[in-house]
Amino acid sequence: MENCKEISTPMATNCYLDSDEKGTSVDQTKYRGLISSLLYLTTSRPYIMFSVCLCARFQSNLKELQFTVVKRILKYLQGTTNVGLWYPSEVYLNLVGYSDSDFAGCKIDRKSTSGTCHLLGLSLISWHCKKQACVALSTPEAKYIAAGSYCAQSLWIKQ
Amino acid sequence: MSKIPLLCDNTSAINLTKNPIQYSRTKHIEICHHFIRDHVNNGDCEIQFISTENQLADLVTKPLNKERFNFLPNELGIIDFKFVK
Repeated sequence: MENCKEISTPMATNCYLDSDEKGTSVDQTKYRGLISSLLYLTTSRPYIMFSVCLCARFQSNLKELQFTVVKRILKYLQGTTNVGLWYPSEVYLNLVGYSDSDFAGCKIDRKSTSGTCHLLGLSLISWHCKKQACVALSTPEAKYIAAGSYCAQSLWIKQ
Repeated sequence: MSKIPLLCDNTSAINLTKNPIQYSRTKHIEICHHFIRDHVNNGDCEIQFISTENQLADLVTKPLNKERFNFLPNELGIIDFKFVK
């Protein structure tokens, strides 16, 4: 993978990732090793957070399809080795939060994914992406649940 | 630091946090998720509307196309250090 071609996004917009029962099985150990390394990278690269979290859900029943998606993330990382978080000095500090969710993002159980970001001044200090524990029946409901998890995180930061 | 602003791109969700009434469509939302409602009432956070174009949390919730994927990290203070001296 060292000399692979670079790709501009870590995941295709039409990426349909499900359990793929008919696909061929591949080596689980390698996949789990990749996921653990990528999860470590999410602490400094928030932009791969969503794609890595999505792939990490398929570790037990692994098929060729999921492996291809992970390889695409590696191809993306090949081109972005210099990209990182920037914390400028001398800026005013005010805390702003963004909360968002998709609706029925998981194709298997129709659960939504909530995501939050906290910006202190101009820099990103906290981010979070998690599949929700319950099935939301409407978009406002999914966003409402995301806002709840945002609120918990801001109260912690405020301490 | 008294009121932390939360930017959400869905007006219905914002109204849900301010409105204590239970409707037939919201009655099945579990009680633990109404946590935010208490804190909005106490004044710990303040929910504001933001348009979907400026919603920066999009980056961690959905797969994005090239244009949007290049736009969002810049707004979040993620930069390429190749261009920094």
